[in-house]
Amino acid sequence: MSEPWMIAGAWLATGLTIALFSFLYKDNPFFKIAEHLYLGAGMGWLFQVSVFSVWGPKIWTPISNGDLMVLVPSILGLSLMTQFIPKISWISRYGFTFLMGYGAGLAIPASLATDFMNQIMGTLQPLAGVSSMTPLAIVNSLIVAVGLVCVLFYFFFSVEHQGHFKKVSNIGVYFLMIYFGASFGNTVMARFSLLYGRFDDLYTFSGGNYFYATQIILAGMVVYFIVHELLRKKEASEGEAAQ
Amino acid sequence: MKETLQKFFKIDRRWIFLLLTLALFIPVMKPLGLPNKSIAQETERVYKAIDALPPGSFLMLSLDYDPSTKPELHPMATALVRHAFKKNLRVGVVTYVSGSTGLIEEIFSKVSKEYNKVDGVDYVVFPYMPNVVAALTQMASNMYGIYTVDRNGRDVSTMPVLNGIKNYKNMAMVVCVTGTGIMDSWVALVGDKFNVPVAGGVTAISQPGYGPYLQTGQLKGLLGGMKGAAEYEVLLGQPGKGTSGIDALNLGNLLVLVLILTSNIILLVVKFL
Repeated sequence: MSEPWMIAGAWLATGLTIALFSFLYKDNPFFKIAEHLYLGAGMGWLFQVSVFSVWGPKIWTPISNGDLMVLVPSILGLSLMTQFIPKISWISRYGFTFLMGYGAGLAIPASLATDFMNQIMGTLQPLAGVSSMTPLAIVNSLIVAVGLVCVLFYFFFSVEHQGHFKKVSNIGVYFLMIYFGASFGNTVMARFSLLYGRFDDLYTFSGGNYFYATQIILAGMVVYFIVHELLRKKEASEGEAAQ
Repeated sequence: MKETLQKFFKIDRRWIFLLLTLALFIPVMKPLGLPNKSIAQETERVYKAIDALPPGSFLMLSLDYDPSTKPELHPMATALVRHAFKKNLRVGVVTYVSGSTGLIEEIFSKVSKEYNKVDGVDYVVFPYMPNVVAALTQMASNMYGIYTVDRNGRDVSTMPVLNGIKNYKNMAMVVCVTGTGIMDSWVALVGDKFNVPVAGGVTAISQPGYGPYLQTGQLKGLLGGMKGAAEYEVLLGQPGKGTSGIDALNLGNLLVLVLILTSNIILLVVKFL
């Protein structure tokens, strides 16, 4: 990409980043513009990718080469669009029926094997090989097994959680809390990583080779907020004087 | 004193935003060089699994992330490609996220030059494909049933990089780097079904959810967030964006810790004094 386009891209990226961050101070028109642009650009990108990477090579090219079999899935896909025309919306059922049958056929066996059978085996298998395990590995396997049973019991509602049952259920709650805590900690770290990424770009674009995009846009934004605040105060005082 | 302390809880949250901005921006301007000493076992397992592959093996990378998760996942993907090229592995790249194509291009335009790797000979980047489940299912029998051309429209059937590669049986390993749930499909439809080693790289948010797959060995290893990327860069001996982000993460986490501790101490003081 040529340099002028890179610089223009840097200014656009910086402007949009600062406009979106400006919401942390307060709602403003720059934030609204950036928000709508994000949605529009995302949809536009998805549309062009669908046209050039899916419709072109998967439908148009085969039909042009005489492969009419692709018309079958294409018509089934198009049938979903009839949802928008109430009179013929029944046609969409054929497309949905195919999607549901195909999706369920693929997902159910795979989920049963991966998330159910393999997970049960993964919990029980380590306990079967205790004789060859290190003490730490045994403790680890026991924690996993106890945690699984207690958490499952917490979600078993056909027995009243009283007495010993309540203790088991409470242990399950502690396991869940540890998971949620770990999850939340990781979420915070992930958000910081994303923020770091934007700051890294802002710092890169603050250089002379990008004509100080960050500083200029940031200064412009600050001036806007100051002017806006002064005008608001002036209007408020004029309003009070009029009363 | 109580009233003074209680003011802390009414502090304008924008001051916290400002503090956080400083904590994250200062290391960007002036890296502190804080060490990244602990390497997670899961990261090491990914590194060792790739390192153990003989030269010429085919490594399939599924790079499924867009700019929204770039800071965490892009350094990971870059480090993985570097490792593969360093080990002279053949690399195939697929993607099921439409926004990832530009990021993949960025990696290969840079890293392939570092290792003198040629497009079509040492690596191939397939075009974006919608419907990951359909694509993964089709690739089990014959990948050319779904991928006939690369991302530049060139016929892939004659490419040297794909010599002898028809389906999962011919692939040494799959690594999925994603900010979505696509790795679940790789584990269920490829790893478990065809015994292909599957490893992954995910955002820190998703990382705890993949613990069960790691424990059962359904995932051979996992890189989690920017920390995972930094660890992989350390193992590879090539510091990159992941390593430089560790400074900011450390300071940011420290700030959160200080705020939580301070507010809890103040709360206790207010309650019991």
